[in-house]
Amino acid sequence: MTERNLNLIRGTVDLLILTALSDGEQHGYAVSEWIQGATEGTLLVEEGTLYPALHRLEAKGWIEAEWGLSENNRKAKYYALTPSGRARLRHEEEAWDRYSAAVAKALARGPAT
Amino acid sequence: MGKGDEERKRRLLRIRVDEAGLEEELDDELRFHLERTTEDLVARGWEREAAQAEAVRRFGDVGRAKSEMRRHQGRTTRRKTMGGWKDTLTHDLRYALRQLRRNPVFSGVAVLTLALGIGFNTAIFSVVDGILFRPLPFPESHELVNVWTDVTRRGGPADEWLSYANFASLRDEAATLEAAAAWGGWSPTWTDPDQPQQLLGAQVTEGMFSRVLQVEPQLGAGLQPEDDRPGAAPRVVLSDGFWHRAFGADPSIVGRTLTLSGQSVEVAGVMPSGLRPPFLPNADLWTHPGIDEQAVAGGRGGYSWRMVARVTQGTDPGTTQAEMAELGRRLEARYPESNTDMSFRAVPLREDLTADTRTGLLVLLAAVGLVLLVACVNVANLLLARATSRASELAVRFAMGAGRRRIVAQLLTESLVLAVVGGVAAVGVAFLATDLLVSLAPAGTPRLEEVAVDGRILAFTALVTLLSGLVFGLIPALRAGGADLRESLREGGRGAMGGSGARVRNLLVSGQVALALVLLVGAGLLTRSFQNLRSVDLGFEPAGVTSMQVILGGGYETPDRVSFVQEFEERVAAVPGVEAVAVTSTVPLTGFDGDVSFYIEGTPLPRMGESRAAWVRQITPNYLSTMGMELAQGRAFLDSDVEGDREVVLINETLAARWFPDDDPVGRRITFSDPTGEDPFWREIVGVVRDIRNFGIREESRMAVYLPWAQAPSVAAWPVVRSDLEPDRIVPAVREIVAEMDGSLAVARVRPMGEIVDGALASERFVTLLLSLFAGVGLTLAVVGLYGVVSYAVNTRVREMGVRMALGAEGARISGMVVRWSLGLVAVGVAVGAAAAFLLTGLLEGLLFGVQPGDPVTLVGVTLVLALAAVLAALVPALRASRVDPARALRGE
Repeated sequence: MTERNLNLIRGTVDLLILTALSDGEQHGYAVSEWIQGATEGTLLVEEGTLYPALHRLEAKGWIEAEWGLSENNRKAKYYALTPSGRARLRHEEEAWDRYSAAVAKALARGPAT
Repeated sequence: MGKGDEERKRRLLRIRVDEAGLEEELDDELRFHLERTTEDLVARGWEREAAQAEAVRRFGDVGRAKSEMRRHQGRTTRRKTMGGWKDTLTHDLRYALRQLRRNPVFSGVAVLTLALGIGFNTAIFSVVDGILFRPLPFPESHELVNVWTDVTRRGGPADEWLSYANFASLRDEAATLEAAAAWGGWSPTWTDPDQPQQLLGAQVTEGMFSRVLQVEPQLGAGLQPEDDRPGAAPRVVLSDGFWHRAFGADPSIVGRTLTLSGQSVEVAGVMPSGLRPPFLPNADLWTHPGIDEQAVAGGRGGYSWRMVARVTQGTDPGTTQAEMAELGRRLEARYPESNTDMSFRAVPLREDLTADTRTGLLVLLAAVGLVLLVACVNVANLLLARATSRASELAVRFAMGAGRRRIVAQLLTESLVLAVVGGVAAVGVAFLATDLLVSLAPAGTPRLEEVAVDGRILAFTALVTLLSGLVFGLIPALRAGGADLRESLREGGRGAMGGSGARVRNLLVSGQVALALVLLVGAGLLTRSFQNLRSVDLGFEPAGVTSMQVILGGGYETPDRVSFVQEFEERVAAVPGVEAVAVTSTVPLTGFDGDVSFYIEGTPLPRMGESRAAWVRQITPNYLSTMGMELAQGRAFLDSDVEGDREVVLINETLAARWFPDDDPVGRRITFSDPTGEDPFWREIVGVVRDIRNFGIREESRMAVYLPWAQAPSVAAWPVVRSDLEPDRIVPAVREIVAEMDGSLAVARVRPMGEIVDGALASERFVTLLLSLFAGVGLTLAVVGLYGVVSYAVNTRVREMGVRMALGAEGARISGMVVRWSLGLVAVGVAVGAAAAFLLTGLLEGLLFGVQPGDPVTLVGVTLVLALAAVLAALVPALRASRVDPARALRGE
């Protein structure tokens, strides 16, 4: 895997986490469930990657964490978007749109003759 | 050891603690995830052991993940430490907003409560402050007093006007008055414009503006002392409003002449804008009367002037009052014929102006105070219930190492965010409600134009509400760190059903119910009183009657007034749609009444100073039928009752009952001149008219006499026209007829009689409406509070209900139990509220009509309304309780 590909994957996970939290705070388990459900299982983000990613985003100040109670009254760590996280989400969405549009365009044109 | 060392040591310690805590947090977070995954798999049919293994397998490399997380966490901690309090604050703010968004019902109710409570309170305080408490807009306005003739010893009012001669004596002899002036009403007809206009003005004696009120004209030199000499050419000063309206604020107006009631009058100046003299605040102009004081010195009997004075600086109002009483005695001794049983009173101007509105406004003030209390209790209760239901969450966060200060700070932030949002909404409510109050207020309310939303009051009210929210929001936070922490956790997060917390909430709800009941009783009493006032028999039928005024001044002599009115009635009667027309000297409930002294032939002569006064009204023969008034006895006036014929008079029932308790008054004679004189002018009583409400809807009837217009025409002619058509379809025709008959006459004060009657009830309507509004707000808040507490209680007792249902209790019984329990809370509130209402509604006594403060019908009715509202509030959570699924409840979901 080249450095470039690794960046792409990491970026995708970030984008998915930020999107998962854009509707309100969630704990890690719910984020992983959402990603599975929303991508219909196509993208399997391993939890071993997800949790470090959550903490990384927290360290960057895009999300923040707070302990709370889960639906069945167990303590769980909840994550929520910060304003800079929200800005980041918009930025990443645009970048993703440009990126996928460029790839789609390239694929549509076919190989160079 | 220095202070710095201490600090360093503490910081080192904290970092070590933090590190241990951090490791634990990572474990907790991952354990939560693995357990949830395991449970999920078990639910899908996996064996527990296998599920656990699968969960770990799916997770991937736990050790690598943890080391990565640890690294990131170090950065997070460093960033937070560097960010300091600002970061913490913004973090708490965002946290608070998220919490409020997560509970939209709670947040909505709390914000609404704050907005209504603070907003209405500010509006009412602003109105009351503007009308009652703020000083009048004159220099040293506390020195201004009204002076009244007190004729209570003669059975008359304590605030009668004065004769000019008595005014002059008081002015010249009082030592405690720095300056004094008198004023009287004046309504000249201005004939310069195409349409003659009747103006509203006042005659003021010398010094009224310059020395008593101390306001200078904005333009011109104003009225001069020599303008008030007898025979001086009349001059006027204009009000700013009239100057703008009639002359487009033309600065060259000073020195011009106006034609007023046939006289040329020079404009001497324009008074400043915002000048609201304490009399006729809407006056167009003022003039000096130029009274010949020598000539009127003998006539002390009348009451056509009112006196305003400025007391000498530093004089106590009590001293002035004592001096007025003393001067009264002196004048009584000097002029026994006119001044027997007559005294004088000085009343501070501000007090006097607002005397009529005062009680109503103070009642509203008290009512809105109660609403504010209910609002405070509501916010407190909401926060309390919420904080208690979050006790387990708080306990978890304590356990996770969050400091008590952090948690308290976060709860404080939440309360503050709530208060700010509510406060912003409250500002809007305050402005809207103030405008609403001003627009609803009766037209004659004094000083209404000075009312404005007051920032200080807004801030004060917001502070009170906020503080109550903070205090009650903090109690659970402080307790959460205490002994019941472990208990909350053990209860599996059902929320600490802390006994004392529940008791406080129940108490608060009962308190709310009590407050709401007091408000409702007040509103109920006023509503019943207002209904009574509405159904009072007026003695005339206002519907369909339009009244207006034409002043027959200037060139009109007595015969002209008779012939004018005769022709006028004939022509108006011919207008299509007019059913009846008549003319009178003034219509009921407008306050333009004069009194006459009378003597009935064959009765004892009045002793010195005894007053036998009746109000008098001149009417044309059609008046009684046009107004829908009834004769009790005898006949009405006829067209044949004219000048030179037998002089006749009608009396009202009150006069008949007082002077002819056993005899038939018809045929007896009455005089309004000196019965011992050469030729007393006798009039024969030809009939008795049923009493009407002439001075106010509440006023008991007073003695009255009616004279035929043709034998005693007045200067003010008030046509009354009865028609099924709208006034706009009749009045233009009437105006046209008047213009054709005399182009210099103005038709003024056009008002439907129904409006005049409504106007007489305007202040009652205002107070009743507002109190009902507040009672409604109070009831709503109390119901919301009750609903909150009941649903909260149902939530915390779900398990208990599940057990009961599992043991065979039916849903209906469970609902019944909840409703009964809530009614218990209500009953306590009702008991306390009824007792309080009983004590407090005595304050309403002066406002009530035909209903007693302790009226049982109102009390019972209001209690029923409250109980019904309470049942509805309890029903929703009660039904929810009856649908509890026992199995789920027992599992603790």
